[in-house]
Amino acid sequence: MQRDLGSLPLAPALRARLVAAGFQTVQELLETGPCGLSKEIGISKEEALEALQVVRQECHGDAARTAGGSGATRKCTALELLEEEQAQGFIITFCSALDNILGGGVQLTKITEICGAPGVGKTQLCMQLAVDVQIPECFGGVAGEAVFIDTEGSFMVDRVVDIATACVQHCQLIAEAHQEEDNLKALETFSLESILSHIYYFRCRDYTELLAQVYLLPDFLSEHSKVRLVVVDGIAFPFRHDFEDLSLRTRLLNGLAQQLIIVANDHKSASHGFRDVQPPAVTQNAEGTEMNPRKRPRREEEK
Amino acid sequence: MVVLRAGLCPGLTEEMIQLLRANDIRTVVDFVSSDLEDVAQKCSLSYKVLVAVRRVLLAQFSAFPANGADLYEELKSSTAILPTGSPSLDQLLDSGLYTGEVTELMGAPGSGKTQVCLGIAGSVSLGLKQHVLFLDSTGGFTASRLYQMLRAQAEDEEEQAALQRIQVVRVFDVYEMLSALQELRDRLSQQVVSSAGPFKIVVIDSVSAVIYPLLGGKQSEGLAIMMQLARELKTLAREFSLAVVVTNQVTRDSSTGPLKPALGRSWSFVPSTRVLLESKEAAWEKATTQRVASLAKSPRQPTGIQVELDIG
Repeated sequence: MQRDLGSLPLAPALRARLVAAGFQTVQELLETGPCGLSKEIGISKEEALEALQVVRQECHGDAARTAGGSGATRKCTALELLEEEQAQGFIITFCSALDNILGGGVQLTKITEICGAPGVGKTQLCMQLAVDVQIPECFGGVAGEAVFIDTEGSFMVDRVVDIATACVQHCQLIAEAHQEEDNLKALETFSLESILSHIYYFRCRDYTELLAQVYLLPDFLSEHSKVRLVVVDGIAFPFRHDFEDLSLRTRLLNGLAQQLIIVANDHKSASHGFRDVQPPAVTQNAEGTEMNPRKRPRREEEK
Repeated sequence: MVVLRAGLCPGLTEEMIQLLRANDIRTVVDFVSSDLEDVAQKCSLSYKVLVAVRRVLLAQFSAFPANGADLYEELKSSTAILPTGSPSLDQLLDSGLYTGEVTELMGAPGSGKTQVCLGIAGSVSLGLKQHVLFLDSTGGFTASRLYQMLRAQAEDEEEQAALQRIQVVRVFDVYEMLSALQELRDRLSQQVVSSAGPFKIVVIDSVSAVIYPLLGGKQSEGLAIMMQLARELKTLAREFSLAVVVTNQVTRDSSTGPLKPALGRSWSFVPSTRVLLESKEAAWEKATTQRVASLAKSPRQPTGIQVELDIG
């Protein structure tokens, strides 16, 4: 294995020592063995063993992939991907205009971002989608569950109750019009309690909690494999204030984006980020007026 | 910086290595660059033996100079020019993508980089019937869009075969990307040595997505990994005559400054050709598929040329 040591995920201090001792490729490292390694570089035997294990894992992964083993690699031809995409459903919103511009609904395995000025209806749309993802398959939905990560505290359960009741009523009307067995059977499980119990709600108060929550998502999703929608309400909010180091902010945001893409891809869910667009006014009280619309309870027409 | 080992060359025994190590000579470079008379005295080894070992080591580890004419002949026989699927872009790139080189497409989000990459993959697979490796790090590869593009150009059975020749690997982390490139390298070296290997082009969309989370701050680790990736791409392109296409983002120095490519000055030495993609008008006002591609860096054409592109 002629792989260069610089391309392996080793700790920087360890890598510096290995380079100084003259090791260049993986082959040389594996030939030395843990005792020889610990003597040459001056690290403890346990550390040497650990390092060799990491190296062996990477190379074993490489060898398995070259030999044609599949494992957890995300490798396929474009034709297989096309078949997968065509078999995938969309999360319909029951608003045909919106579904039209999105090409059928909110797509799974992709990240959709909704941005707008404060008070325009992003959180409302969010809550609607958390209910819509649970629509049974016979009505055209994906019959999944939803994860709602809230950073602004604008999630109103009573509003979700309104939306869910309306959705159930809508489905009942469809079932009565068409009178099919599947529809009536599905309606038995599609009730207000089941909808609310399948929305998993997380409240994150600052960016550390948000990052921790997103990095822990894969474990959560492997236990709850029916989740098809992850909503992050207010992805910009925790990053807006208290950040002196802007390059750190860029790095964290990019890392967060990549992690969300991994989640969307591996668990076939749709990730939904929200972003507030800063109002063009430069006055200081722009911040103050943002807070009010969230506290005011909203009375909107049901869809 | 290869470590001296017994058996590395005839005449290099274990006792010799121990003696050399006691005098701080651990690697081939140390040995070759040290004064042999001095070493012979300190380690009480024979001068003749040391000179013989040095000669063998130099022959083994130094690079061979090549004749310019030979290089040119080799280049003529191994370089191919791949069409990008868009005649105006081909014109910008001096008839297409050259194998053996890294070409970069940069642009703001929504400027059409992934669409152009899909077009390139489709055109090489359909037109030239060559295999394409597509490394997707943003999750933006949409097979149905590629199918739509191919259907506009070909008949029915050909599209299926074309789609099968495009291999898509999803890598969301820089180490995964390096593993995928290593796997490609292993596969290509195991093939019968000929210029018609299975892959002729590698498309990486995008390279900045995997490197951005590591750059900046006080660690220089991100820069090291970025240059490791750069070296891997360039050696792959050169050794196996592949065309490598990467996409990159753009940033600004201040909110009103001009656009510049992301990943900084170190990365700017990596691609030999750079194309900037922009929308013709303000992005959100009209639904348009028109884009403007301008040449920002090229070894063959004058920079600053602009063409119009339709990614629809």
